[in-house]
Amino acid sequence: MNVEINGPKILGYLFGNTNLPITETMRNSWIIMAFILFLCIFLTHRMQKIPKGKQALAEKAVLMIDGLVESTMGEGCQAFSPYIMTLMMSSLFGSLASLFWMRSTTADLNTTLGWAIITFVLITFNKIKYGGIKGYLKGFLEPIFVMAPLNVLSEIATPVSMSFRHFGNMAGGLVITTLIMGALKVLSNAVLGFLPDNIALLQIGLPGVLSLYFDCFTACMQAFIFSMLTMAYVGDARNS
Amino acid sequence: MTEALYEAFVSIGWWEILVTMCNTLITFLIIKKFLYKPVRKMLAARTEEVESMYSTAEKAQSEAEQMRSEYTERLSKAKEEAAEIVGSATRRAAERSDEILRESSQQASAMVKKAERVIEQERIKAHKELKDEVADLSVMIASKIVERDVKPEDHERFIEDFIDKVG
Repeated sequence: MNVEINGPKILGYLFGNTNLPITETMRNSWIIMAFILFLCIFLTHRMQKIPKGKQALAEKAVLMIDGLVESTMGEGCQAFSPYIMTLMMSSLFGSLASLFWMRSTTADLNTTLGWAIITFVLITFNKIKYGGIKGYLKGFLEPIFVMAPLNVLSEIATPVSMSFRHFGNMAGGLVITTLIMGALKVLSNAVLGFLPDNIALLQIGLPGVLSLYFDCFTACMQAFIFSMLTMAYVGDARNS
Repeated sequence: MTEALYEAFVSIGWWEILVTMCNTLITFLIIKKFLYKPVRKMLAARTEEVESMYSTAEKAQSEAEQMRSEYTERLSKAKEEAAEIVGSATRRAAERSDEILRESSQQASAMVKKAERVIEQERIKAHKELKDEVADLSVMIASKIVERDVKPEDHERFIEDFIDKVG
């Protein structure tokens, strides 16, 4: 039998233009955005002075991200808190979407690369804002001018490494899970051949345990790592 | 049924990246407007309330402190006043008793003097009467002895001298 591992499905084309495909990733991310919108409205609905249940959750989340931003980037960076929250939620829910029969949005390089490019723009913008355009350009010649190509490379490597790290982790999990599902189907057919062809009994169990690591754990880890790296890089750009 | 189309497993498309960025921007706005704005507002309101509660409590405490000091002052003043009243009453009573004592002693001494005077007068009177009686008696005795009429006028001086010598 064949095991196919594909990129996101193309669901259609915007204006019939083949250059503007509507992919599975986009649809899933829109579902996730709707979910986030619903979650935000639900959590902050009918807020009271004395927090209760869901409101406490919302406040805790905001204060937690605020604390993370402050401890990583320094004082007075609270304006970045909503963006970090956006990254965290989009990444986490995008990865966990695989638990709900959807393809993870983060298992598409375009998604993580998009976030990484936003972070890269923020880094560059803050470097220029706090160091001046001269300081920014001078930063490439340190410690000596010979290092300039390497500095440019490392600057570009930041978004590339960030996006590929996240994408690789999620896509790797997808690949391994798909392969194991295929292998278990083959094994099941060989051992329990008397069952109908489309019932693979051995597919129950092991993939669930693996999914705990590849979906749940990695999703949380990568969301955290991506946000932390963004905070660290941007905070570094502000303080240098 | 047409066969499903797939993108490459690892692909980079600027359109897809652009869509991702737009999605992220929209998500950012959603989170800012629907999560951060109400939560921040609520936290600020709570901070304000706590601060106002603290300031109210502080005010009440300072007021209580002020009242306490006022009462203490009033109490000490009242005590002072009471002490003054008691002191003045005592003083007046002492003065009055002194006065009474003085008056009574004066009266007593006046009475004693009067009595002494009366006694003296009585004594002088008695003395005089006695003297007269003795004189009469002596004249009588002498006339008896001499058997002649002794004129009291003649011997007045002599008898007087005698009586003075005797008594």
